[in-house]
Amino acid sequence: MSSTPAAPPTASAARAVDARKTYGEGEAAVHALAGVTVSFPEREFTAIMGPSGSGKSTLMQCVAGLDRLTSGSAYIGDTDISQLNKTQLTLLRRDRLGFIFQQYNLIPSLTARENILLPMTLAGSKPDADWFDTIVRTVGMGDRLGNLPSELSGGQQQRVAVARALVPRPDIVFADEPTGALDSRTGIEILSFMRRAVDETGQTIVMVTHDPHAASYANTVLFLEDGQIVDSMEAPTADRVLDRMKRFEG
Amino acid sequence: MFSLVLSSVRHNAGRYLATLVAIITGVGFYTAVGFISDRVIESLEGNVDAQYGNVDVAVIPTDPTSVEGAASDPTELRISQGVADQLLALPGVEGGAGILTGSVAFLGDDGKAFATGATGRLWIEDRELNPLQVDSGEAPTRAGEIAVDRGLAEDEDLSVGDDVTLLTLAGQESATIVGLTAFGDSDALDDGGTVSITEADAFDWLNSGQREYETYYLRGSGDQKTLVAEAADVVPAGFQAQSGDDFRDDQRETAGSFGNTLKKGLQAFAILALLVGGFVIYNTFSVIVAQRLRELAVLAAIGATPRQLKRSLRMEGLAIGVIGSVLGVVAGFVLTLLLDLVLRVTGNSLPGSGTTIGAANVIGGVLLGTVITVLSVMIPARRAARTEPIEAMRDAAVESNRLGRARGIVCALLVVVGLGATLVATGVATIGLGLLAFMVGVFVGAPYIAKGGARLSRPVLERLGMEGRLAVDNSVRNPKRTATTANALLIGVFLVTLVAVAGNSMKDFAVGEINKLQSADYLVVSTGGTIDPEFVSKLEGVPDVIKVAPFRREPVTVDGEATVVSSGDLDALTQVANVRASAGSLDDLGPEKIAVLDTNAEAQGSAVELSTGTVDDQNVDVGSTVTVEDNQGHRSEFTVVALIEPSLDSVQVGALLDPETFDSLFGQVAPTVAFVDVESGAQSETKDSINALADLRPDINVQEGNAVGKLIGTVFDFLIKAVTGLLLMSVVIALIGIINTMSLSILERRRELGLLRIIGMTDTRVRRMVTLESVLIAFLGTLSGLLSGLVVALALVLSINRLSEATITPSIPYLELLGVLVLGVVLGVLAALVPARRSTRLPVLDAIAAN
Repeated sequence: MSSTPAAPPTASAARAVDARKTYGEGEAAVHALAGVTVSFPEREFTAIMGPSGSGKSTLMQCVAGLDRLTSGSAYIGDTDISQLNKTQLTLLRRDRLGFIFQQYNLIPSLTARENILLPMTLAGSKPDADWFDTIVRTVGMGDRLGNLPSELSGGQQQRVAVARALVPRPDIVFADEPTGALDSRTGIEILSFMRRAVDETGQTIVMVTHDPHAASYANTVLFLEDGQIVDSMEAPTADRVLDRMKRFEG
Repeated sequence: MFSLVLSSVRHNAGRYLATLVAIITGVGFYTAVGFISDRVIESLEGNVDAQYGNVDVAVIPTDPTSVEGAASDPTELRISQGVADQLLALPGVEGGAGILTGSVAFLGDDGKAFATGATGRLWIEDRELNPLQVDSGEAPTRAGEIAVDRGLAEDEDLSVGDDVTLLTLAGQESATIVGLTAFGDSDALDDGGTVSITEADAFDWLNSGQREYETYYLRGSGDQKTLVAEAADVVPAGFQAQSGDDFRDDQRETAGSFGNTLKKGLQAFAILALLVGGFVIYNTFSVIVAQRLRELAVLAAIGATPRQLKRSLRMEGLAIGVIGSVLGVVAGFVLTLLLDLVLRVTGNSLPGSGTTIGAANVIGGVLLGTVITVLSVMIPARRAARTEPIEAMRDAAVESNRLGRARGIVCALLVVVGLGATLVATGVATIGLGLLAFMVGVFVGAPYIAKGGARLSRPVLERLGMEGRLAVDNSVRNPKRTATTANALLIGVFLVTLVAVAGNSMKDFAVGEINKLQSADYLVVSTGGTIDPEFVSKLEGVPDVIKVAPFRREPVTVDGEATVVSSGDLDALTQVANVRASAGSLDDLGPEKIAVLDTNAEAQGSAVELSTGTVDDQNVDVGSTVTVEDNQGHRSEFTVVALIEPSLDSVQVGALLDPETFDSLFGQVAPTVAFVDVESGAQSETKDSINALADLRPDINVQEGNAVGKLIGTVFDFLIKAVTGLLLMSVVIALIGIINTMSLSILERRRELGLLRIIGMTDTRVRRMVTLESVLIAFLGTLSGLLSGLVVALALVLSINRLSEATITPSIPYLELLGVLVLGVVLGVLAALVPARRSTRLPVLDAIAAN
């Protein structure tokens, strides 16, 4: 692993080396990932962008251990996740990763507090009370912790989901279109929390999005097309990202 | 619309599987029961015509419980040859047939007896009245000639021309088989085989040489009524003349009534199984509606009216109902054939020949199955009709967590009032209504039970970790669905418990009462022969036998009622058997004195029905005079000096005379009955030796003293087991319901399960969660069924005690009930097998993907 040619210069929270994912065979084969080598640096907010079908979600899912690569390898820290079995993958996700989805995916029978603590309850570990309070305060859910998801608005549910991802202090948080189901004002709030988590607590976040405005909250934006990384942008702004995206359509 | 229905059924075949299985099982069971009972009824009724087809007048005992084959009943009166001759001489009578039967057996060359269950029958010369036909060879005409039935000949390898040794009541007799007989379509008239004997031999071999008959049948020309009226003048006391038609009707009724009762009882259970099936169907369709919410909403959005949606669901129900019911009828037929085959392999067989597919059974099965299916679909169909187009856009299924307050109040009222009414009511109807109200309350209130039960079990399950906690939460997310699922189990378990507890209580009570009445350990009866001193000394030679008390006994009528009169060593009788005076003293017996059974004692509510030998409701008391008439018609008057306390033993004795008086009436006949007393606890050791002695004498029949108690115990046990077995069927059907609900639950929570797996719940724990929920539902259903069964059974026992002044102690078979509870949990685990596997089969990504 140390001899990997594409080893990145800075410490990376997760990376993929010559990652390929193919659906179907022969003539009908579709290459969702056609040899991607990428590194997600620690304590940074990385956004992955690209048109529909570019493979951006597949890349995230394979790195997050939700899906398996056809060839190549994916690492969380120094762990080669392609070597792990199903249960080991589950435990890795539980102990080291956090997830935020477009659909909030809360457990309806658990209160907001219980939902936030769910990964730690499953691991049987005790939450750090101060840290829990900090996160809850950050996402602004302090007074609604006893409510069930059905008693919360969409934005509030997504805040609970963000808190759930952050409270166990995962090595890396994967977010798949976290603002896709929210109005723009609530979306901005959620993105601000994520930004603050990176700036103030050193959290690593990888986010898949098609929204240039969301991408502007990231440190780096990676652009994917036809299963390959075609470009990247440091310190993005919404306008620059939008311009870059227009080139795909043109 | 209809083509949509059909294509829906086709495309969702898998979903309908559970429904189909439920319908097929229920209908199959129902029709199989119908086929089998019809066959039994038909064969029993058919026999009546074959046996008595040409009878115009039947002279039968007044108490016609059994007309023939009652030879073992020592109290039976006989028709003498003199009376028979008078009957034959009546104008218009063209022929007559006297029936005389007795048990016989064959003695093989090896000294062992075979065909020990065979019945010897006087061969009836009148061809029209003889139920038997000569199949090959010829009819027995000369002394020592016999005919055996076709089946017996085949089974025991006998053929025409064989010389055999027959064991009869009179001892060993040599005989030659001259013919084989048949009875209509079947071989034998009697269960263990029929041996036909000439008239002269029959009197000697079967009836101690007396020219007597059990019953007498006449045929004649002219009006049956006139013949009956003429015969009535000749008929002796204890007998009646009946017209052939009435007689056949009665016989048919008696013969068929067993089958009819059997059919009704079994069909009740079958309908029960179908009703439980109804719950499963209701459940399945609820599941289907929930699964297809989006599809239904789309239909609603594009313009399907609520009525059309409702109708489409009902049509699906109808289609499934008809298909399932038709398959069920086929399954029922196959089941019948299988049962027949299994019985035949094990050496038994169903009576009658061939199973006919009765139209009534087929139509009944299809109709019942279809109607129950359609009814079960009504509520889900209404729900489908309420689908709003907007639900096509909604993300998750809406949960109906609400339970109305009115429902709660009504349920509580029903339970309390129902139980209260049962506990204080004095009328059977009120008690029945009370219990019904209680059960309806429990049933409709099941969602509360589900909620409450889940809340109570939460602390326990929470200890098992997050999966335990979530399992509890999931079960109350839709308490109505949980309740419907659990209810299917509740009914089954409720009935199993009710039968077990109430049945066992009754059994213990009945057996206890009987044992109280009995004290002799064995009753030895000779039919046709005697209990001679040699046999008595052989009996006394058996180790552990303390005393043998033989006594003489003759059938008589006392004041017109058929009974027996006995005489023997009074000291021995009172010592060995439970024969004692309830008024007066047995020591006062002497010339023209008699002791009779006390009818007043019987009226005091003894649990045992003492059907014979009591002087009927006239005020017989010490000092009254009774008239005793023997077989020959001799009448004598006696003064009652003692009343005998009724017991199983004293019923065998009947009335008591002192030996001299008995001699003067019947001559110096030998004892025919004996009570045997053995060391207590030695019953099972002595049984074989005593039976071995009796086997050498075909006339002698041994009954274990507590046999009646044991017999009743066995009958109760058998009934309880049979009924429980049938009820367990409904429990199995309930299992399908749990599988269904769990499968739906998993489908609905697809994304939730996916998320749990993504954020770190291992597949093992996810599967455990599903299993725990299933076990919880099963446990709740089983427990509430068990408790309500227990409550109802105890209430019933208390009511019976209150109404009848009996004191039945409730006996609760704890071990069996615990077994039922364990079974419930096991069912829960079994039901979860498939759904649990399915819960983690989907890749996590697919599970959380938006639809």
